[in-house]
Amino acid sequence: MQFMLIMRDEDAAAVERRDAPFEQMLEAMGRYNAAMEEAGVLVDAQGLASPRESVVVDFSAEPPLVTDGPYGETKELFNGFWLIDVDSIDAAAGWAARAPLGPGTKLEIRRVHGEADLRR
Amino acid sequence: MQYMLIMRSDDAAVAEYKEIPFEQIIEAMGKYNESLMEAGVLLAGEGLSDASEGFVVDFTADPPLVTDGPYGETKELFNGFWILDVASKEEAAEWAKRCPLGPGAKLEVRRVTGPEDFPADNEWVQKEEGWREEQAAKQADRQAQAAGDAR
Repeated sequence: MQFMLIMRDEDAAAVERRDAPFEQMLEAMGRYNAAMEEAGVLVDAQGLASPRESVVVDFSAEPPLVTDGPYGETKELFNGFWLIDVDSIDAAAGWAARAPLGPGTKLEIRRVHGEADLRR
Repeated sequence: MQYMLIMRSDDAAVAEYKEIPFEQIIEAMGKYNESLMEAGVLLAGEGLSDASEGFVVDFTADPPLVTDGPYGETKELFNGFWILDVASKEEAAEWAKRCPLGPGAKLEVRRVTGPEDFPADNEWVQKEEGWREEQAAKQADRQAQAAGDAR
């Protein structure tokens, strides 16, 4: 089963992470990623650049409306993910709890759709 | 440059989506995905199962607190993503606009960080690059194997 660990940051947490020494963050994340790689559970992981480099496409308008952002419209900003392949949701929770993250940050753990879901 | 198209839907849009015939959704999304593949820009894409199967780990508590959900705590639910390899933000936005989504749904288009965002001389960054190269090689092997099996 594949699970996605979705990183969600409150604004304050995102600012705090930017202020933390970059090397220290790289090492903490590097150790976490290495542990998942060694366990053979890591499928993919990506981090995202700042909202300043981003846009939002809103499908409530026709044609869809493109604006800069997201700025202030989300309660928590999506900043990256890990995709892991484990046997159970409990194993996914175990890995999630080991992530080097702090106050104001959440990981949302969601099962990724597989072929079985398309044959309903 | 890599961009991620992040699907965000409000509760009403999620409920409405469930009412649409499943076959119709598969066809609309299938056509969209096919156009991305034909253009050679699609790198990855995944859809997520219902929030009722999910849970949330909150790092504000120590040790982190695990709860069911997410229920009601997000303004818009994250339901899936595409990663595209395109030349510019504008091109990413153009692809995003063609996605078969409706009212209450948004796509957030964010640049995916790459090696250029990190110091090349950092040992953890190097380790990560090595792992990515290994994964890419394994993927190429699997594809070659699959192509061989098909023949």
